[in-house]
Amino acid sequence: MNVIPQLILNSIIAGSIYSLIAISFSLIYNVTKFFNLAHGVLAIIGGYTVFYFAQILNWNIYIAITFGIVFAGFIGLILDKIIYLPLRRRKASNMILLVASLGIMTALQALLSILFTNEFRTLSRNINEQKIFQLLNGSLTQTQVIIIFVAILITIFIVLLLFKTQFGKAIRAISDDDEVAKIVGINTDKIISYVFFLGSAIAGIAGILMGFDIGIEPTMGLNLLLKGIVAVIIGGIGNVYGSVLGAFVLGFAENFSMWKIAGEWKDAVAFILLIIFLLFKPRGIMNK
Amino acid sequence: MDYLINISILFSIYAILGLSLNLLVGYGGLLSISHAAFYGIGAYTTAILLTKTNFGFLSSVILGALLAGIISLLIGLVLSKFKGDYYALVSLGFNIIIFSIFLNWQSLTKGPFGIAGIPKPELLGVDFSDHFSFLILVLIFLALIYFISSFIVNSSFGRVLKAIREDEVAISVFGYNTFYFKLIIFIIAAMIASIAGSLYAVYISFIDPSSFQVTESVFILAIIILGGLANLRGSILGALFLIFLPELLRFIGFPLEIAAQMRQVIYGLILVLLMIYKPQGLIGEYKF
Amino acid sequence: MIILEIKNLIKKFEGIYAVNNLSLQFRKGQIIGIIGPNGSGKTTLINLLTGILEIDSGEVIINEGITISKIQPYQVSFFGLTRTFQNVRLFEQMSVLDNILVVLTERNIFASLFERHSEYHYKIAKDILQKVNLWEKRNQLALNLSYGQRKLLEIARALAMKAEIYFFDEPFAGLFAAMREVVFEIIQELKQNGKTIVLVEHDIGLIRNLCDYVFVMDEGKLLAEGKPEEVLEKREVIEAYLGE
Repeated sequence: MNVIPQLILNSIIAGSIYSLIAISFSLIYNVTKFFNLAHGVLAIIGGYTVFYFAQILNWNIYIAITFGIVFAGFIGLILDKIIYLPLRRRKASNMILLVASLGIMTALQALLSILFTNEFRTLSRNINEQKIFQLLNGSLTQTQVIIIFVAILITIFIVLLLFKTQFGKAIRAISDDDEVAKIVGINTDKIISYVFFLGSAIAGIAGILMGFDIGIEPTMGLNLLLKGIVAVIIGGIGNVYGSVLGAFVLGFAENFSMWKIAGEWKDAVAFILLIIFLLFKPRGIMNK
Repeated sequence: MDYLINISILFSIYAILGLSLNLLVGYGGLLSISHAAFYGIGAYTTAILLTKTNFGFLSSVILGALLAGIISLLIGLVLSKFKGDYYALVSLGFNIIIFSIFLNWQSLTKGPFGIAGIPKPELLGVDFSDHFSFLILVLIFLALIYFISSFIVNSSFGRVLKAIREDEVAISVFGYNTFYFKLIIFIIAAMIASIAGSLYAVYISFIDPSSFQVTESVFILAIIILGGLANLRGSILGALFLIFLPELLRFIGFPLEIAAQMRQVIYGLILVLLMIYKPQGLIGEYKF
Repeated sequence: MIILEIKNLIKKFEGIYAVNNLSLQFRKGQIIGIIGPNGSGKTTLINLLTGILEIDSGEVIINEGITISKIQPYQVSFFGLTRTFQNVRLFEQMSVLDNILVVLTERNIFASLFERHSEYHYKIAKDILQKVNLWEKRNQLALNLSYGQRKLLEIARALAMKAEIYFFDEPFAGLFAAMREVVFEIIQELKQNGKTIVLVEHDIGLIRNLCDYVFVMDEGKLLAEGKPEEVLEKREVIEAYLGE
């Protein structure tokens, strides 16, 4: 019974990471309406960039982190400019975009494998010296506390961005109806490219945080992304609050099911949840 | 020379995989990213039966195909509720679920340790343990599968499949219960993939879950899109390209350790380029 | 006899009635027009009758015998109905010939698996395609045809069904005079053979020349019905059209 507080904390940590992926994926999905399966590998790219600059080039860790976030965003932007945008211009179907994103994911993932091998890398140098916080009979490492804080901050940031700025208004307009958005004068291509930068940067943040917490390896991007997609579907596509809600529902479902089912089945649990929601509640919790 | 024989065996196995996926994607229009799962079911069935029981190779092929048939029936039922990119997403989820089973049902599959010592097949008194005779065996299977695929696509059933691919609602108004057509072709494709898996297991004599992940499904997809959807010779061509081409790289000096990853970068890039420039591939008769 | 009857048919989309308690009777062997302003529910009605949209409530009675309230698309041909689509839905990446053959072949899965080239079906396809002047183009992909040819191919496909009732949704729209002639003749020939044709059209002249009976729809309801000359003079009908 005293495992519950820790389960709750673990759920919150997982939910935090998932919400970062979910929000960023959701942002991009809402303006482009296709499943960008390459989104997860961008998170890992963020992590590896920090690894490269901090541990191989020995730069200051904060500079390395900033670089990692910006670089991830930058790669996302480039991918939009050279691949997704040309495809969108000629009205490519969702399936073409999805397959293109699969190709990107595969190539980038393999590239990371070549550059960094498939070994797990952690970003924190002194993993045993991290501060541990005790909270209600459970414990959190310093990194994990940061994860939760960053998730909260980013969520607030995105909500403010979407609902209190012109940029956010443009994003919402495109999400509703991109044709009408064009008609009222919004430069949809430009806004979408910014959204790609922003979304990919946030994904990079998630990857960096994971790198500090449990480490990263090249192939974990897809899994991470799919958790994000599960979260978005549970919460309701198109709804930023839904993405966050879904992320925590997933985090809790995964961790509490681990109480009774062995840990290795975690991924299967997530996808079974995905399929159940798609079958019975395809609009998610938040959408009517 | 032995090297050439080995590559040809691999090519033949992937040609079989390509033919079966083409039936589903190119003719049926069902973008399935789960083919590696059925490939794995065949491989594991053969591996387990040949190492732990007295079953012969052919029996294991048949049992593997039956198992793949049953599982694909269940998965096909769920998939029938989805279309287009959601279909692709859910199929990808099933790939992960089945991979999870390969990885975690350790009492059956030995999990990440894999199953070793799979014996070479002995059929009708003939021992296929040397590579040359095994190549002949695989080529016989390939010819058989090609014949079956050709039979299917040139029948009225094949024509109906194509119509379903083009406009499922329209063709149903003309009296076709499309649900069953889609389900049947999914099962047939899965069973053929399973046969390829059985061949793979005895060829390589050691299998582990890592061969049956999403990236493998993406690879098979790349083969058929490159060769050309809805063209059986295209799948042969695509397999030829994507198996032999990366081998040429080794001759120009790429180290062995990154050969697999290099192949991944290549077919990932090829997928993206195909989507942008030539979605019908080399000799395809359909593009989505 | 009443080959098809609709009783109190209702279809709602997010609170708005697309088809509002509609009751109609189609007499066998007639060419029946359905006219009305855009959005009056004409195409929705056909979609309901051919199983593409789900009926919310109401009944459909076939041949004065069979009463159904749920229609699956694949049952429709069994009831003797077939149709064309307002926004031409062909099998684009298939040949003209295949577009016809595919509606002639076996409906049963296992039978279709073992059915290969059939001279019988080939001949039927040839006759029909020749009638619409598309036989020379039989190996061309449907997507490569001109707009008029595509519409004719759709009609040919419907003809191949040898149905009892044909629902043609704006078959004349966008056609040149020569092709209109072809469609005109096809419809009249169908009637001569005892078939029933339901025509959704906007061209009032055509309605006058072709139809034996006309239904006027507006906002999902039946506004008027009767012989073309009578109906087209009615004030409500004229107002419905002018008011849109």
